[in-house]
Amino acid sequence: MKMKLKLKVNGAELEAFIEPHTTLQDLLREDLDFTGTKEGCSSGMCGACTVLVDGKAVKSCLIIALQCQGKEITTIEGLARGEQLHPLQTSFIEHGAIQCGFCTPGMVLTAKSWLDENPNPSEEDVRLGISGNLCRCTGYVKIVDAIMATVAKNK
Amino acid sequence: MEYSVIGKPVKNVDAWKKAMGIAKFTGDLKIQGMLYGKILRSAYPHARILKIDTIKAKKVLGVKAVVTGKDLPKSLFGTVIKDRPAFVTEKARFMGDEVAGVVAVDKETAEEAIDLIDVEYEELPAVFDPLEAMKKGAVLVHEKLHEYAHVPIITVKKGTNICGHTKLRKGDVEKGFKEADLVVEDTFTAQPIQHCQMEPHSVIAHVDGLRNITIWASTQSAYVTREAIATGLGLPANKVRVIVPYIGGGFGGKYFLKAEAQCVMLSYVVRKPVKLVLTREEVFTATSVRQPLIAEMKTGVNRDGRIVARQCRLIWDTGAYADIGPNISRNAGISAAGPYEIPNVCVDSYTVYTNNPVSGSFRGLGMPQVTFAIESHMDMIAEKIEMDPLEFRLKNVEKEGSIGATGQVLHSVGLKECLQKAAAGGKWIPKKKANKKTGKLTGIGIACVHKTTATPTSSCAFLKLNNDATVEIITSGVDLGQGSNTVVTQIVAEELGISPEQVVVSPPDTLMSPFDLGTISSRLTFHMGNAVKRAAEDARQEILNIASDMLDTNPDELELRDGRVIVKRNPKKGIFLKEMPLGGRYVTGIGHPVLGKGTFCTAREGAVIDLETGQGANASVFWMYGAQAAEVEVDPETGEVKVKKIVAAHDAGKVINPLLLEGQFEGSLVMGLGGTLLEELVWENGRTLNPSFVDYKLPNAVGLPEMVSIFVEEPHREGPYGAKGIGEPLTACIPAAIANAVYDATGIRIENLPITREKILWALKEKEK
Repeated sequence: MKMKLKLKVNGAELEAFIEPHTTLQDLLREDLDFTGTKEGCSSGMCGACTVLVDGKAVKSCLIIALQCQGKEITTIEGLARGEQLHPLQTSFIEHGAIQCGFCTPGMVLTAKSWLDENPNPSEEDVRLGISGNLCRCTGYVKIVDAIMATVAKNK
Repeated sequence: MEYSVIGKPVKNVDAWKKAMGIAKFTGDLKIQGMLYGKILRSAYPHARILKIDTIKAKKVLGVKAVVTGKDLPKSLFGTVIKDRPAFVTEKARFMGDEVAGVVAVDKETAEEAIDLIDVEYEELPAVFDPLEAMKKGAVLVHEKLHEYAHVPIITVKKGTNICGHTKLRKGDVEKGFKEADLVVEDTFTAQPIQHCQMEPHSVIAHVDGLRNITIWASTQSAYVTREAIATGLGLPANKVRVIVPYIGGGFGGKYFLKAEAQCVMLSYVVRKPVKLVLTREEVFTATSVRQPLIAEMKTGVNRDGRIVARQCRLIWDTGAYADIGPNISRNAGISAAGPYEIPNVCVDSYTVYTNNPVSGSFRGLGMPQVTFAIESHMDMIAEKIEMDPLEFRLKNVEKEGSIGATGQVLHSVGLKECLQKAAAGGKWIPKKKANKKTGKLTGIGIACVHKTTATPTSSCAFLKLNNDATVEIITSGVDLGQGSNTVVTQIVAEELGISPEQVVVSPPDTLMSPFDLGTISSRLTFHMGNAVKRAAEDARQEILNIASDMLDTNPDELELRDGRVIVKRNPKKGIFLKEMPLGGRYVTGIGHPVLGKGTFCTAREGAVIDLETGQGANASVFWMYGAQAAEVEVDPETGEVKVKKIVAAHDAGKVINPLLLEGQFEGSLVMGLGGTLLEELVWENGRTLNPSFVDYKLPNAVGLPEMVSIFVEEPHREGPYGAKGIGEPLTACIPAAIANAVYDATGIRIENLPITREKILWALKEKEK
C-alpha cells in the first residue's frame, strides 16, 4: 500500500505516494531523477549513495524514504548555487580529485557534512571522516588534498 | 621544445559535470518505454540443466517475459574464443552462468519473478584446480573446444581444458643451465582479486522490430562490444550501435562482453529497451576477476651476477570461459623472463579452463602476478650469490638497443633510471648478505617491471571545426576516469593554437565516432593521441590553405598561434580563426568548412609473434618500464605489515599532463597495495565466499603509506610528443617490492599472495622453533 511522504529535496517541498519499502536511494534516483546519487553496492559499504539528511551525511541505500518524513534532503545536484559550485566541488576539480567520478557525489557530501561538524580537522581526521566512502581510482591522495585545501581556505 | 598546453597540469575536462552530479552514467539513463532485466544464475559450478519451469514466474503481474536459452537464437559469444552462450542451454559451467532472465516493469517485480523460476539440475563432477584440470582424463569444462572459432594468434589444445598455450624460445636454456654457476628454482602463486570499479556493470539494450540494436553500456570499448554482439548474432555491423555514456571505472573488468549479450537477448524477446544493472554480488561472482597464477621459475646465474638462462612455466586459471585469458597467457608469457638481458629463455604459459568464476583482463594483463614471481625470485637469487638486489638488477636490466626475449631491438628504455631513482627515494641500503636483524622489524624492498602494449592495434579520430574557433573531437576513446578526454583535448589545443576550453570531446558512439580498439593495455595516450594529433595536423593544414587565400600568401609562410593564423615573417599580419568560416558558410564569406581526419595503426610486421617460438621483432610497439621501492614495518605480535613509504619511478615517455599522471600513480599504488595485503576472493568449490565489500576489504583512506611519484621521461620516437603508456605497470611492482621488504625485515619469504597477517605470524612462529 502506497503511503504519503512529505519532504524537502534540494530546497523544493515535495509530496509523494510511495511503497513503504522504498529506499531513499530509489526515491531519489528512480522517482525524482536525482541520479547524481549513485548506486554502488546497496549495502551501505561504498558510500556512493551518500546524501545529506538535515545536513548530516547518510547512506541513502540504507534508509527507508518514509524515515525522511518532514526532513530536508540535499543531493549533489543541490549543493551548487546554480552554476556557482560549492568550494568543495571546486577544490575537488582543481586538485585532480575526480577520476571516474562515481564516488565523487558521496565523497563531496560526506566531506561537507563532516567539515560542518569539524571545521578544523587534521589530515588524519579527514581520512577517518571519509573512511566510509570507497574510491578505486585516486588512492584518496588528491581527495584528501582537496578537502584539506578547503579547510585551509576557511581559516 | 616548448609547448603551450602539452606537459601542463590541465584539469580533467569532465570534472565539472562529475562534481555537480550531472554526468550521466549508463545506470542513470531512462529510455522511453524501458523495462528492467534480472538474471538467474546457476546454483552449481558444473551441472546439466534438466528442466527450467518458468510458469510461476510468468504469472507475476508486471512480468513481460521470462527468457531461457531455448527461446533464443543459438549464438556463441567471445572475442578470443567463441565459447559462451548468452544463456546456457545444456549445462552450466560456473556459478555465474546465466540460466534464465526476466523482463519486468520494474526492478522489484523482476527480482520477485526470478525467485519463482524452478530449475532442475544434475550436478556434474567439477574441476577447480588448474593443475588437475591440465591432467589427462580431467573433467572437461568445454567438450567442444575444438569446434569453437578462435583468433589465429592463440593455440588451443583439442580434447583438453587448455585453451591457450604461449611458447617463448630464445637460445638454449638447457645449455644455459649447464653453463651457469648456480641454478635457482622457486614457485609462486597469485590470488584472484576483483576490479571493484565503483560503478557496477550497467547496460541498456534496445532491439527494435527490424532487429536494429542500440546498446548503452559501461564498456571499455564500443567497437569490441559491437563486434562481439554483431558476429555473435550474425548481424551486419551497422545494425548494431553501441554508445558509451560516462563510465565509473574499468581497470580491465569492463572489456569484452560482461552483461551486454544477456541484456540484448532480453530485449530481443520483448523488442523494447531493457535495462540490466548488475548487483555488487554479481560483479564479484559473475563478471570477471584477476586471473590466479601459478608460476614456476628457474634461473641459471653466474657468481658475477650475470643471468645465463631462465625458464618459466605459468599456469593461469581462466575459469569457465576464455574471456581474454589466452591473450593474458600470451602477453604476460612473452614478458615472463623479466626486463633483463638473458641469452637463453624458455617460457610455457598455459590458460586453463576450470569451473571457477571467469577471469579476465585486470590492469596489467597478468603482469602484476608475473612480476610478483619474477621480482621475488630475483631477490632470492641475489641472496644466494651474495649480491645486493639492486646491483643484481642493474647488472642485467635491458637498455636502449638491448635485444628482448622476443628478438625485438628495444627502444625508449628508461628502466635503469627508474631503478636508481626508486632506490634513492627509498634510501636504499645495499645488502651484501642476508639481513640478520633484531628488534624493530623494518625493511626495504625493490622491484621493477616491463610490460607490452597490445600490438598491432589502431585508433581513429575526426575533428569538426566551428565558425567561432571551437572544436569537437569525435572519437571512440572511452575515458574511464584516467583522463584520456583531457589528453586529446590538450593535443588538439596544442596543434591548433587554441585553448583547451575551446575543445569538446564526443562520447563514443559507433554510429558516428570512428574505430578505436578500446581503453586497454595502456594504449590510449599513444594510439589515440597519435590519431588525434594527425587529425589536428590535417585540420591545421586545411586552415592554413584557406588562410593563404584570405591573406594572399603561401600556406608555408603561415603558422597557427594563439587562435590566429599569422604570417611568419610579419606576425602583425594575420587572421583570427574566429574570422574564418571553419564550421560552414551560411550565405557569404570565403573558404570552406574544415574537418580533420586522423588514423593511427601500429605496424603488423613482427607484431604477430611466432606461435612456436614467441619471436616477433615488433612484439610490442612500446614497452613500459618502472621500478618501486617499499619500506615496511612488521609487527611481530600481530603479523601486520605496515607499509611506510612507496617510491615509484616509472618511464611514461613525455608526460602530457602531470596532474593526471600523478592521479594514475596514486590510484595504482593503492590498488596494488590492496592486492598485496588485503584483497582475496575466497573460492570454495566454485563458490565465492566473500562477494561483498563487507567481506572483501578494499583500501580506504585510512593508514595509507607516504607515496612518492617520480616521472622518468624517456621519449619514444613514435609516441605523440614522445609519450608512451602508463596506466597498468604502476600496480605491478608493489607485491614483490613489499614481499622483498618483508623478507628484509623478518627473513620470512612469502611466495603466495596476498601477504596476510596470518601467513607472517605462522612463519614467525615456525622460525622461533
